[in-house]
Amino acid sequence: MNEDLVRVIRAAQRGDGLAMAELLDVLTPVVARWCGPIALQDAADAAQEALIAIFRGIGFLVEPAALFGWARTITVREAVRVARRTARERPAELPELPSRDDPMLAVDIGDVLARLTPEHRAVLMLRDLEGLDERAAAELLGVPAGTVKSRLSRARDNFRKGWQA
Amino acid sequence: MMTWPVAEVDAIRRLRVLAAAVPGAVVAEATYDAPFAQVWAVAADLEHELPVYLPDVRTLRITRREGDRLEAYARGYAGMRARFDIVLRPGWCVMRSRFLLGGMAAVPDGERTRFAFLSGVHFPGQRALAPGLTRLGRIASPHVLNRLAEQVRLRS
Repeated sequence: MNEDLVRVIRAAQRGDGLAMAELLDVLTPVVARWCGPIALQDAADAAQEALIAIFRGIGFLVEPAALFGWARTITVREAVRVARRTARERPAELPELPSRDDPMLAVDIGDVLARLTPEHRAVLMLRDLEGLDERAAAELLGVPAGTVKSRLSRARDNFRKGWQA
Repeated sequence: MMTWPVAEVDAIRRLRVLAAAVPGAVVAEATYDAPFAQVWAVAADLEHELPVYLPDVRTLRITRREGDRLEAYARGYAGMRARFDIVLRPGWCVMRSRFLLGGMAAVPDGERTRFAFLSGVHFPGQRALAPGLTRLGRIASPHVLNRLAEQVRLRS
């Protein structure tokens, strides 16, 4: 992490509004990228709430180098919470997560995401956009690793069924 | 190629985030019956228009400009003088002095413009003062929005 960003983080932690605005410039695009696949039509609300949670908690970030990982954890949890609140997912026809190289993913990611629950969408995003493994995804979602594994496997089967139907 | 959906976080949402993060800061929002370019031409003309729509400021002089970074000195009616560091770009402005934080955001909405104004005070001990400052901001901010609307109307 470059020294300028560390200085900006430290100043934001001291309550400097201009530094917060600078940090907002840095974090907004990544938070928007994390929230999009998880919260879908509620992504803008999710991103706003995630950013508020990040900035209200910025004083608790001990190591500036951990900024992005820390912000990602907050964002994913907020995005799942916001997406669940509106309950627009269709759990009855829950499909499974496609594998990383599955051509179906490339065809219509929007359709794939719409068939998943917010938690599944979070796992998919963490795996395919962020390159996390299952253990890391589990940690981030605050669930045991086995749960993520079963979510992944269940999502994969359902997804195939959805596409083969 | 696979395109993942990305959230759209406009300038007004970002200003709300800033207000939520700074104790005592308040955001007031309005929609103006004027296009974005017209509204922002007034809002961003800090030297000429800011003393009109911000009742506490008598003059504001920009002393340095580097890209979207500005330095300005403001004088208030009570004789107070403050140096401001400013970020100014289309639809977005944040101003910070030693004690004050100000912000503006504008987003086009068809032929209309959504506009937000942030006011806050930051100095040691601000958390204890935050509820009072929030009340003050809630009272003052609508006046600023009305004055700005009037300036936009006069310039059109």
